[in-house]
Amino acid sequence: MYKILEKKEIAMRNTWYKIHAPHVARKVQPGQFVIVRAFKNGERIPLTPVMWDREEGWIVLIVFTRGKTTARMAAELREGDEILNIAGPLGNPVEMKKFGKILAIGAYTGIVEVYPIAKAWQELGNDVTTLHVTFEPMVVLKGEMENAVGRHILETVQIDMTKSFPENMKNVTKRLTEKVRELLEKEHFDLVFMVGPSGDQRAVFEVVKEFGVPMKADLHPIMVDGTGMCGACRVTVGGEVKFACIDGPEFDAYKVDWDVLISRSGYYTDMEMMAMQEYMKVLQGGGQ
Amino acid sequence: MAVKPKLIKERIPTPEVPVEERVKSFVEVNLGYDFASALKEAERCIQCPPEYAPCIKGCPVHINIPGFLKALRENPDNPDEAVKNALRVIWNDNTLPAVTGRVCPQEEQCEAPCVMGKVGDPINIGKLERFVADYARKHGIEEELLREFMANGDGTKGRVAVVGSGPAGLTCAGELAKMGYEVTVFEALHRPGGVLIYGIPEFRLPKEILDKEIAKLRELGVEIKLDHIVGKTVTLEELLGEYDAVFIGTGAGTPKLLNIPGILLDRIYTANEFLTRINLMKAYLFPEYDEPIAVGEKTIVIGAGNTAMDAARSALRLGTEVTIAYRRGREDMTARIEEIHHAEEEGVKFEFFLNPVEFIGDEEGRVKAVKFEKMRPLEERDRKGKRKIVGTGEYVTLEADTVIIAIGLEPNRIISEEATGLKTNPDGTLVVDENLMTSIPGVFAGGDAIRGEATVILAMGDGKRAAKAIDAYIRRKKANA
Repeated sequence: MYKILEKKEIAMRNTWYKIHAPHVARKVQPGQFVIVRAFKNGERIPLTPVMWDREEGWIVLIVFTRGKTTARMAAELREGDEILNIAGPLGNPVEMKKFGKILAIGAYTGIVEVYPIAKAWQELGNDVTTLHVTFEPMVVLKGEMENAVGRHILETVQIDMTKSFPENMKNVTKRLTEKVRELLEKEHFDLVFMVGPSGDQRAVFEVVKEFGVPMKADLHPIMVDGTGMCGACRVTVGGEVKFACIDGPEFDAYKVDWDVLISRSGYYTDMEMMAMQEYMKVLQGGGQ
Repeated sequence: MAVKPKLIKERIPTPEVPVEERVKSFVEVNLGYDFASALKEAERCIQCPPEYAPCIKGCPVHINIPGFLKALRENPDNPDEAVKNALRVIWNDNTLPAVTGRVCPQEEQCEAPCVMGKVGDPINIGKLERFVADYARKHGIEEELLREFMANGDGTKGRVAVVGSGPAGLTCAGELAKMGYEVTVFEALHRPGGVLIYGIPEFRLPKEILDKEIAKLRELGVEIKLDHIVGKTVTLEELLGEYDAVFIGTGAGTPKLLNIPGILLDRIYTANEFLTRINLMKAYLFPEYDEPIAVGEKTIVIGAGNTAMDAARSALRLGTEVTIAYRRGREDMTARIEEIHHAEEEGVKFEFFLNPVEFIGDEEGRVKAVKFEKMRPLEERDRKGKRKIVGTGEYVTLEADTVIIAIGLEPNRIISEEATGLKTNPDGTLVVDENLMTSIPGVFAGGDAIRGEATVILAMGDGKRAAKAIDAYIRRKKANA
């Protein structure tokens, strides 16, 4: 049981949790994640420690309200409550070396995963530029990013209320690819790194590929245990089947089979919608 | 003067939930004995002396089987006393009888060499062990016994870390606690039990019963730390700094995948993922539970071990038709006979001598059929004594909208990758000596982590042997200090 020391909404559908989890805090490295189970009947979801204090034993998770579990966390958890399970740290740390000039991209709440990595790369002597592309009310960690890296570029997209959410998301993809193209045309980068939805990662990769710049991507397949025992998170990398939870989550974007990754992440969309709708009824009914 | 025992050749049956009822839910299939029928079955035992009783030799943890049956028979009019005495005998060698009585392949172990089996049915040892454990729990008989077993020690003999809370780890922890060690178990998942919690379904081992068996270990003083992945959350070296010895019982939890086209199509599960969603996460109760699971109308399970039977019978309960496809023949199946029988009763179909060569998908990336090569058996046998098979060059395609792969498991390498001093075999199993000690002094290992995929009771046997070796190691270390 892990106590929530702080909880606050830091942007639209973005909740900050500072949690007492000393076993994770003392060991976590940039690039690693945790598996969280917040409720008794709940599922296990992968999340990324954004900040941590090894001495004080806390980690910060910033969670985008995306479906039932994250919505329920936002609605029901209070400061002082306890989260049932936080397993970790899991996955491999990102490679810590001097790459040179790095462009680290975060789409939507993906920027929160970029933060610890970009910060550590900068501290190691890399020249890191971060790019955050998201909807205007969803900007997070702006000040922190500006303090942590050489240059932080923020690109916001307005939400057009007359259009559907997927339509709006297309605008983010467009802005992302345009901005990346613009940057790569003007400047030389030694490495591009990206966290975000698989579709956006692929779209950005298509641009980066034209410039021949090396690219790493933090993959987000479906996970259950996060320890390599089920293979739900399997991806094809360089023609081989890999488990993202133990072999990743970072992989060479040039080797990833993007079609398969995107197809596999949509497996439970119907059931996810159903769970969310059921939960919305509970919320609207003011409990049971 | 000894009276010549009158032999009752046929075993007393145990009732089962009717097929049509049980396929609709995950309730336990076998209902077990009551005291009267358990007593009758126990009375069939001819009481071979413990020195040579073949059933004891057949049990990997060497439970004094005639001893516990005798204890039952000595108090026919006082069930509580009878069960308490029987349980005391069992606990001496095995702290998880409610589990082993259910999941052991007794027909290959204690019941195989039973003398009664030569003239009729062997004694139903598994179901009797289960009866003792279940009755004791239901009637609150465990507490008094727990106090007796606690009298052995206060945790001051030394500290031992156990990695993994599966059958090997739990047994090792229980034995060490009984000897008076302070034991901490480190478990990666959010519930302890290993394969007992995520792999074996409720209809074979109710999780409530498992939880209570584990709660009993906690009563004996075993601490269980969940969410701790040794190799990530804490290193083996750190454990060695804090504990006098370490036992690794991390199992073989990494699924083998078929290296054939189409393996990443939608609705192709590994048995581990499928069973974890169902057992650990209770996805069959979605949306009451948050974990989803999706099956179609026709499911093919590939493989014919216990995992395949569990997956097939679980899928059936989600309302799909199920076919087990196996590359060898009926007599080569490795699953327990009782489980194969249950699967057949419940309507699982079997196809033999079919080896998958390709998964065929639809436009949306979802599996729609499996292409198999027909195989045929040879006279020659492999190292495990199974008939070798060869392809015939003929192919058959079976429709399926869900596929579950249950072709085996190998050890998870998280710990051996982190602790580089830990020697492994090419298949990922840990190298151990005759005392189950690994290449690192003070670090012991057992169960599937050293054997590859084997059985619950072999893992428990290793856990028990390792506990003895750890005790000897720590005594030696302290004497030399």
